[in-house]
Amino acid sequence: MWIPIQINENSAEPLYHQIETQLRSLIISGVITEGTLLPSIREFSADLKCSVITVRRVYQDLENEGLLRTRQGTGTFVSHVGDGAMEGYKQDAVRKALESAVEVAQSVQCSFDELQQIFQEIVERKYKGLE
Amino acid sequence: MVQMAIELRNVRKERRNKTIGPLTLNLPQGYITALVGQNGSGKSTLLHMLLQLTNPEEGEIHWFENKHESGLPLELRQAIAYVPEISLTEENHWTTMDAARFRSHWYPLWDNAYLEELLTKFEVPRNLTLGRMSKGERRKFEIAAALAACPSLLLLDEPSSGLDPFAWKMMIEMLTRYMDKSNATIIMSTHNVEEVRRLADYIVLMHQGQVLGMAEKDSLFGLWSEVWIHANDEEELADLAAELPGSVHFAMETPGVASFITQQFQQIEERIHSLGVKVIKSRSLELDEILSLWTQGHRPILIDQMRGV
Repeated sequence: MWIPIQINENSAEPLYHQIETQLRSLIISGVITEGTLLPSIREFSADLKCSVITVRRVYQDLENEGLLRTRQGTGTFVSHVGDGAMEGYKQDAVRKALESAVEVAQSVQCSFDELQQIFQEIVERKYKGLE
Repeated sequence: MVQMAIELRNVRKERRNKTIGPLTLNLPQGYITALVGQNGSGKSTLLHMLLQLTNPEEGEIHWFENKHESGLPLELRQAIAYVPEISLTEENHWTTMDAARFRSHWYPLWDNAYLEELLTKFEVPRNLTLGRMSKGERRKFEIAAALAACPSLLLLDEPSSGLDPFAWKMMIEMLTRYMDKSNATIIMSTHNVEEVRRLADYIVLMHQGQVLGMAEKDSLFGLWSEVWIHANDEEELADLAAELPGSVHFAMETPGVASFITQQFQQIEERIHSLGVKVIKSRSLELDEILSLWTQGHRPILIDQMRGV
């Protein structure tokens, strides 16, 4: 199966970390569901153009977190994701996205009030009619 | 602890017009190692020594932790498959099936069904003699026949030369799949950077008969950056260059804009800012650019070179 992971070549973030973060969020957000068989380490490394050493490290880390499990001879599967993990992930993802948005604002010398006003506008526009 | 498929210790080989080595290298078992380097850098000679097609004047070679100075034993030969850079003329008058039959005689693990599957995928003509095939067709046969031997050690000398892009992609998939089902080791020389990106776990860079170094491929990721900055003139740029040892290729691009190449940009970015220099943009260098800098003598700073081994 093809896993939608996008590597950013210009990022300072190490390769294994980029892959691990994206795979973790695909699992926690439910895009890849429980019981899914992931590609073999060699296959995944060819897709991502990285070494098997990197993919092995990612699988091992996520296995230690309980998100993956490996059955000898069959492969690596997605395990059950607890509800707590989902809630934690939601908070984390939103915080991270907002933080980088604020950094953009600072880099163009946007003032505190200006930024709050923009934020308010966007939230109102996006949530309007959803109540 | 990963076992070594191949170990070279101070191996030196005299060629008519040059010396290869002394080479010291450890190539781990179960991985794909790409030998990269310009023409004549010694890649093929290294592969020949691993087959004892030629023997070194000095030094030791170990295969799976044993040295075999009086010749490779039969069981080891039967575990090695090789795709040479130039096809052997001995097989020219044989058809695909004749050559396969002959080869199958030497390899106890030979898998005919697997060969059929690969030849069909590659669309290799069955009844043509190998000598009458196009270079690409013949190459496809040789790759398929090397895999059909189910080797533990697969030596490939520029396997993709002559392959069209479709056959090339198939070859990548075949090698990937073979590595998946076996715990084989592949050592391949290549000029194709895309092949290195898709297949290699380790890269050995050779230059003028020497090994410049070995790196896990991903440790080179994002290592070098090209950085564009504001600079008024050459003089200002020279001042900055003096502050940044290890950075290279300082050049004025247009009036007011200069560029240079540096390792671990994230670590020196703050220093550049503190010097009052404004960074316009940066980009990570591609693998081929990193290898070419390395060949020019700019060694990468590898933090965890042998991670995993």
